[in-house]
Amino acid sequence: MAERTDAPMTAEERVLIVERVFDAPRELVWQGWTDPEQVMRWWGPKGFTSPACEIDLRVGGKYLWCMRTPQGQDFWNTGVYREIVLYERIVCTQSLADEKGNVVPGAHYGMSGDLPLETVVTVTFEEIDGRTRLVLRQEGIGDMLEGAEAGWNGAFDKLADSLPAA
Amino acid sequence: MVTATASDPISNTFAALADPTRRAILARLASGEASVTELAEPFEMTLPAVSKHLKVLERAGLIARGREAQWRPCRLQAGPLKDADEWIERYRRHWEESFDRLDSYLQELQQNEKKYSRKITKKEDKNGREN
Repeated sequence: MAERTDAPMTAEERVLIVERVFDAPRELVWQGWTDPEQVMRWWGPKGFTSPACEIDLRVGGKYLWCMRTPQGQDFWNTGVYREIVLYERIVCTQSLADEKGNVVPGAHYGMSGDLPLETVVTVTFEEIDGRTRLVLRQEGIGDMLEGAEAGWNGAFDKLADSLPAA
Repeated sequence: MVTATASDPISNTFAALADPTRRAILARLASGEASVTELAEPFEMTLPAVSKHLKVLERAGLIARGREAQWRPCRLQAGPLKDADEWIERYRRHWEESFDRLDSYLQELQQNEKKYSRKITKKEDKNGREN
């Protein structure tokens, strides 16, 4: 049988990898990630702002990042730093939180299911000719899904047409 | 096998996808519906064994089967897969858009630095040497 490469993936394979090359030296990109005032300049999708950010940059230290939707709703994320290699690598957990930094389920933000526990985010910084290649890996999104209820199905305007028919 | 309840469709989806044979069956069905016999062919498996896999996929809502008693064609049902992918995509969009903003910020930062160092240079020129 002809092998198809678009076979569905397992939960283990469901690791999100996002890669970006920034036209800036590695130290600057690192600071952009680790200095709260700088994080507030970019954290959140297009149209969002970030009104607050705390970072305790040491292994075992916590962070608390806030992003505000264009409609004014605040979403808080927290996590614990598991590994920090200066200018090279950050490994931390990521969860939804309230404004005090307590981990909260997705329901807290009106997302159905008892979502998150946590995901693990690994960010690596690599300098290439004065530019910086950043690779972000986020693991455990699939695990979060396992707690989800059928309810959120409807939250995503029925994207489920069909897989590509051959 | 992972026990998953009907009230937890996403667990069903992931449990169903955890098996390579079932993924291969899904890949086969992506190119059109097929009978149990047709599906069994490439796998060197007995029909009951394949049927067992099909039941798991059906419970997970990944495939649907025809009603005809004799020839119950299986076809792909993409809903649950799309739902799982959609979560990953949400995260991806979040990061991509944040990175766009980080990119702009870093550009701005470096331009300001250049301006700043140009000012210093001018000052240096004026005063002769350093500062």
